[in-house]
Amino acid sequence: MSAAPVAAELRVALAGNPNVGKTSLFNELTGSRHKVGNYAGVTVETREGAVAARWQPTRSVTVVDLPGTYSLTPVSEDEAVAFRCLHGDEGPPPDLIVLVVDAANLARNLYLAMQLCELGRPLVLALNMMDVAAEAGVPVDAAALSRALGLPVLPTVARTGEGIAALVQEICRFGQVPWDMAEVRGRLFGTPLPAGLAALPPARARWLVAAQASETLGLTGATAEERAALAGVDAGELRALAAALVIGRYAEVDRALAQIGHRGGERAPAMDHSARIDRVLTHRVWGLLIFLVVMALLFQSIFAWAEPLMGVIEAAIAWLSGQVKAGLGPGLFTDLLSEGVIAGVGNVLVFVPQIALLFLFIGLLEDTGYMARAAFLIDRLMARVGLHGKAFVPLLSGFACAIPAILGTRTISGFRDRLVTIMMIPFMSCSARLPVYVLLISALFDGEARVGPFTQASLVLLAMYVLSTVSALAVGAIYKRTLLRSPTPALVLELPPYRLPRVRNTLLQVYDRTADFVRDAGTVILAMTVVLWALLSFPRPPEAVRAGDPVELVAALESPIEHSLGGQFGKLIEPALTPMGQDFRMGVAIVGSFAAREVFVSTLGLVYGIEADDEDNQPLRQALREAKAADGRPRYSPLSGLALMVFFVYACQCMSTLAVVRRETRSWRWPLLMFVSMTALAYAMAVGVFQVGRLLGY
Amino acid sequence: MVTVADAGGGGLTLRLLEMGFVPGTVVTLVKRAPFGDPLEFQVRGCHISLRAAEASCVRTEPA
Repeated sequence: MSAAPVAAELRVALAGNPNVGKTSLFNELTGSRHKVGNYAGVTVETREGAVAARWQPTRSVTVVDLPGTYSLTPVSEDEAVAFRCLHGDEGPPPDLIVLVVDAANLARNLYLAMQLCELGRPLVLALNMMDVAAEAGVPVDAAALSRALGLPVLPTVARTGEGIAALVQEICRFGQVPWDMAEVRGRLFGTPLPAGLAALPPARARWLVAAQASETLGLTGATAEERAALAGVDAGELRALAAALVIGRYAEVDRALAQIGHRGGERAPAMDHSARIDRVLTHRVWGLLIFLVVMALLFQSIFAWAEPLMGVIEAAIAWLSGQVKAGLGPGLFTDLLSEGVIAGVGNVLVFVPQIALLFLFIGLLEDTGYMARAAFLIDRLMARVGLHGKAFVPLLSGFACAIPAILGTRTISGFRDRLVTIMMIPFMSCSARLPVYVLLISALFDGEARVGPFTQASLVLLAMYVLSTVSALAVGAIYKRTLLRSPTPALVLELPPYRLPRVRNTLLQVYDRTADFVRDAGTVILAMTVVLWALLSFPRPPEAVRAGDPVELVAALESPIEHSLGGQFGKLIEPALTPMGQDFRMGVAIVGSFAAREVFVSTLGLVYGIEADDEDNQPLRQALREAKAADGRPRYSPLSGLALMVFFVYACQCMSTLAVVRRETRSWRWPLLMFVSMTALAYAMAVGVFQVGRLLGY
Repeated sequence: MVTVADAGGGGLTLRLLEMGFVPGTVVTLVKRAPFGDPLEFQVRGCHISLRAAEASCVRTEPA
């Protein structure tokens, strides 16, 4: 028989439990950079990549990274995506499935192997973390396991790359080796199905039974015929059948483990070390204290560590702008370049150190396994809102950026719970707000003032984060009790072993995420800055000003921007801004920031850049601090800064967020509600802060 | 403690079964979270956190 052409591309799907090093293996295999997490559900979307040349594949192999799941039963969209992809419900099924299992935890990990076995597709087991298993005193005999299961088993250590070459060789030999899982499959299919379902493909029939029993049929895309067949089965019988299927799979796991003489099924050898750490980290007193200290440290360090780097970037941008001005001479194009392009991008770049630090912290929390502990510690509070501890991770990710956070809610089962979390996320203080807070705090608050060991500035920043968090939780509780009423979802959360983060992976992740931010800044913000520069520059001041009419000139020096379109619009809305302590200049910047928050800083830079033509190189914060109102008093006070920051805590000023929410909820209703309600709330809160502050005499 | 069977039915039961709380399995209570809830269990070689309300779905008897 002539073999299939060797050149034919092989599609391999990578499946496995969360926290087994699946994403690490994917990165090693493909040589590409991806997020490696240590928390259930970090990999939400399926990713693809070609096997890297360094492994010398003898044919072209594409690897698809599936979401990490404990089973294929559609409890949330993750499992549904994984099953549909493997079963070939969406596009052609993969030629081969590589299941990554944690060698130190076979008793639970092999459950998924049984479900994959039912699919009847060629399957290879990558026995990952062999080093951990050996250290924990539960070495696994790969050859024996291979015989017990009837499929190839290859030991790997994804962290070091050990065993991957052999795995690639095995993958490339696909089609030349017989795959025999018939024995195991025969036993798994021993549990008979009701007559109505027997005509369906066996794996799909079992999948639908589980979906029907757990009332998640909506995730399966079941056809009308399938639904009819399921409806024909008594509900109690169906639930008993679904349970029997699970029990049968575990019996098969136990059989295989007994056959290879594996011990440590009930013990958690990989957790020995972690349990000792947890004695402190999830302790009722120390655990909570450490949790608070970790969070406080995060905010303090964002300020303290980033400062020197920010200074360097500021100086570089000022130098570049000066060079352009000197080199090109005065003119419209020079203004466009220095005040639009360079100033705009520079105002964003300057915050890169802080954003990178924030991502570094979040990355380390994810990779070490502390994130799951945080969910464990905080679940009681989340449950009070009516949410799962798991919602904590998307919400915390919301501190970095709402876009990945909203995508991360796919791990939350139950559409209503997911929607509640999505509606909460934009309240979390994302990194794009950070530049605004930092600018206003450092411009308007005393940098030297201290309260205890902390500076006043960092405490104001912390207050903004606390306010946003409390507001998000309150909003969640309100949605959960009104529009999106539903019972509190169950918490079934694994506390994975603590692991040292791979520094390279974490740094690459920081780089990727920060580069994402800069890329956004480079496109959206650059475009916005240039457009806004035009809006704020045209129409030009009347000829009389340039001709030097003394009266007009004085007025023009006061604020030439008032002649521009942007200035006119800012003036138009100024009456609405006065109650929250802002003037039309802030109004222009706020209007600009509705495209994306980070635009606020560059717009403000533009506003003041145009105003203070001679002091172009001076940092923006200096300009804000020294700006004087008509009566000679400072134009902005700490109170007006506070009101503006509160506005930014609440306002939904991010077009990308709205677009993602529309995509995830498949309707304009929710993004529209989000935008209108958040903006109204932001205005009300900012006005409230300013008015109450004034009453108190600030 | 040894798991006997899951009370009730539906999604949560199935989820617990799949996470290893199958009849005959030894389950150990490791600790409670600082606010008293959720609980941390050791089952089939891993540590799983459940709320008290969910854990009550798992009927157990002393080993």
